[in-house]
Amino acid sequence: MPGLIGIYPFGLGRENWRLARFVYYSLLALQHRGQELAAIITYGDDGFHKLFGEGFADEVFNEDALNTMPGFIGIGYVAPSKEQHPVFIESPVRMVLIGDGKPSLENSVQDSWRAFGELFADELSRTGDSLKAARRVIEEVDGGYSFMTLTENQELIAGRDVHGVKPLEIGSLGFDLGAVASESSTLDVLGMEHIAHIKPGEVVRFDPYSIEKSQVKSCNEPNMNRCSFEYVYLARPDSVIDGISVYSVRERIGMILAKERSVEADIVIGIPETAIPFSLGYSRVSGIPASLGFVTTGRKVRTAIKPSIFERLMGVQLKLNPIRCAMDGRDVVLIDDSVVRGTTLRNTVWNMKRRGARRIHVRIGSPAIMASCPYGIEIPPPDELIARALDEREIAEVVGADSFAFLSIDGLCKAIGLERSELCLKCWGCEKR
Amino acid sequence: MRIMGIGGGSREHALAEAIARSAHEPKLFWVSEDRNFGIYRLVKRTGGEYVLAKVTDPLKVASLAEQWGVDMVVIGPEEPNFHGVVDEVEQRGIPCIGARKRLSILEMSKAEMRRIQWRYGISGKLLFKTYRSYMEAIKDLEEHSELLSWLQNVALKPARQAGGKGVKVIEDAQIYLHNEKSRFKQRHMRWLEDYMSEYTDIEDKILVEEKVWGPEYTLQCFVDGRTVIGMPLVQDNKHAHEYDIGPETGGMGSYTGKGLLLPFITREEYERSLRIVKSMVDVVQRETGERYHGFVAGQMMLTEIEGPTLIEMYSRLGDPEGVNVLAMLETDIIDIFEAIINERLSAVKIRFSDVATVVKAVAPKGYPDFRDIAKDHPVEVNEALIEKFGCRLYWGSVHLDDSGKVLTRGSRVVELLAFGETPQEASQRIEDCLVEGVVRLSDGWGLFHRSDIGSREMIRKRTEIAERVRRLYTYRERMGILGKRVDWIPRVGKVDPVKELSHELFSCVGGGSYESG
Repeated sequence: MPGLIGIYPFGLGRENWRLARFVYYSLLALQHRGQELAAIITYGDDGFHKLFGEGFADEVFNEDALNTMPGFIGIGYVAPSKEQHPVFIESPVRMVLIGDGKPSLENSVQDSWRAFGELFADELSRTGDSLKAARRVIEEVDGGYSFMTLTENQELIAGRDVHGVKPLEIGSLGFDLGAVASESSTLDVLGMEHIAHIKPGEVVRFDPYSIEKSQVKSCNEPNMNRCSFEYVYLARPDSVIDGISVYSVRERIGMILAKERSVEADIVIGIPETAIPFSLGYSRVSGIPASLGFVTTGRKVRTAIKPSIFERLMGVQLKLNPIRCAMDGRDVVLIDDSVVRGTTLRNTVWNMKRRGARRIHVRIGSPAIMASCPYGIEIPPPDELIARALDEREIAEVVGADSFAFLSIDGLCKAIGLERSELCLKCWGCEKR
Repeated sequence: MRIMGIGGGSREHALAEAIARSAHEPKLFWVSEDRNFGIYRLVKRTGGEYVLAKVTDPLKVASLAEQWGVDMVVIGPEEPNFHGVVDEVEQRGIPCIGARKRLSILEMSKAEMRRIQWRYGISGKLLFKTYRSYMEAIKDLEEHSELLSWLQNVALKPARQAGGKGVKVIEDAQIYLHNEKSRFKQRHMRWLEDYMSEYTDIEDKILVEEKVWGPEYTLQCFVDGRTVIGMPLVQDNKHAHEYDIGPETGGMGSYTGKGLLLPFITREEYERSLRIVKSMVDVVQRETGERYHGFVAGQMMLTEIEGPTLIEMYSRLGDPEGVNVLAMLETDIIDIFEAIINERLSAVKIRFSDVATVVKAVAPKGYPDFRDIAKDHPVEVNEALIEKFGCRLYWGSVHLDDSGKVLTRGSRVVELLAFGETPQEASQRIEDCLVEGVVRLSDGWGLFHRSDIGSREMIRKRTEIAERVRRLYTYRERMGILGKRVDWIPRVGKVDPVKELSHELFSCVGGGSYESG
């Protein structure tokens, strides 16, 4: 689930742009998609320039580096794992490739992207046409992925697999810049106009003189397999993916939860930040007032994707300081976005009870996570998934809740507004083919 | 009847076609700098003559008109107007459809157009500043860099109409990207100064205008010195590439709805726009004491600050917008031209067919900003197939050489037009036609066009933006602050950028408020 950005200048004076800082602020806007590695790659008169390192974007890049980095074409990348690097290909074509998701080529995500890049480079040197080459590769390689590549011929090519698993959105600035980003909110941060999404199975190429697009023929709607986890958890709520507003999906999830698993309580609390829209939706339908329950310390850390237990717990403890008066002596509906191991939830629930919460009814804004993701979202091995081992009642006991319920799969599909057949629901244990 | 036309692009091809289909059975005589294949054939068919000459040379054009003994001269592009071709032709007693030099100031100087508009208080204005050098502009921008000034969000333009080139729109609203954007602005202004040094007929070099957003539309009109008659609205698309990305072009394609309006512009907005264009024509006639005979157009935008707003003016038909309206025109164009010459336009009933139209331009890679590489490629067009798809072909920036080869000249090669019940239908017809490879360059150089022009998605998007803008300007109207830009800045107090415009207008002769009925 890395975050991708590519920014491309057109027309007169295009080489006057310096885009490193545009890319940097894009990465801040994409930071939630990966916090382990960040990279900025630009292309200027003297070829490629690279800056990258481990950690948050604002730790990796300093002012001096950004001020002096040349280049009028820029791409950027954040990744949730230190193992997932941009792929640099030296021959037969010089190019750099960044990707989100996983092409079904090798076992590891990184090896798959390297293989994808080599395939593309070979195809490109064979056909001499990057648009054709990208289309061929998409036709050939199954999986769930979005990618972007920048070649030494100043061609920026972006595309999505035929099932539309991973998002890519397009934006523009004035008469000068075009951009492709994993999320539309990134375009907002750059002050760009969000225009459209790249369609599943579609390839878009920016070159100095034109924008061309091409659609893989075998791609048709019944084949859709859009990542449902994007809507529940991964994407920012101010993003619009494939024309669907993430915030409105999350609000609807809360509304559906209130209908599916209603319970009497005094207050609804969402765990920051992802679950807050859920709690507002839940409150609206149930009539139970919503309240802020926690204040966070430090930067936004996405606890579910932190590698070790130590880091996760540190994350949650720093992140979630309960507001005592909101819960003291009250029956609380506590809403979280997902449950993987239950570690952080247990910590939170017991903490709240110690601060005086009377009953806590936990509601989860997604179905139970039951399986690994074939497209590279890092989900722990099966024996670490609490929902595989315990039923809802047992989970309630372990985490210290008075009741516990997941959102149903149907509820999730309804909230997104797509058919079951159009969504990838694999992590919820739902196979469709 | 003998009619002489000037200019060699797609708009002129459409003009020639409209004239050739007149019941007056005209003979066409033509002058342009490159030999337009389409016009050439019409000229031959009607038994006229085609001469290659400089269209901005008044003496040359006027003596050809005399030599051919034509009944009238019709000007296609803007530069002949700016150079006084109309004045010279009329001097010799030959009627002309075109704006005289002093009237065409509305288009020639974007700066002077704006000054006239402010001086007479005609609505649909934009804040603006002019500079005679790039250093002057940089200094001014730096002085305003600390304030929350409108100068942060601007369109940078050459102060003169200069082939539709060199416009940049820079919204500098993110303080964290300010350095990058201001660096780019500075470099572009330096370029503008260089570019404008070619033009010696204007003192202003750089025009900076407040940046506005909203849907754009073109209102083209016939003018006879007394009456201004509006044609159906057309939406042109200036960005070179799909998704509205990329540099400004002369226009990559345009569409009309059925009837006078576009799907996202109201009747009232049309009327207001027409009032603005009329007022501009009235005041320029009043200031010069001359009569305007020909075409005039307002390139408009619906903006939050003023509602219908004048972005630029044309002293001619738009290209491609002219192609849309000429194809829709049902009234005999020579009857209209005669009415213009005799100043009795108000007595003519001008009718347009009730269909939607779409025009798409096909351009060689390199257009608009790198024309050197877009030039001199041999063009092949399958006209039979275009006809079979129900599309019409208008030749553009090409030259038919003496050996019969057609070569690109660097700008839009051809424009294709189709009719439909809706713009979507017409757009699809052109797409179906182009996908067959009906236009190609036989040396393999790439061509591009915009598939999205007139599409359902595009119109949905424009409609959505129009609704947002309409909500804002009608709010301003209700509050009585339409067109007002008063702000309050800490430690500075109330600021009214309109007051700061006075030095731009100090050569003011008229004054007060003016709006024609």
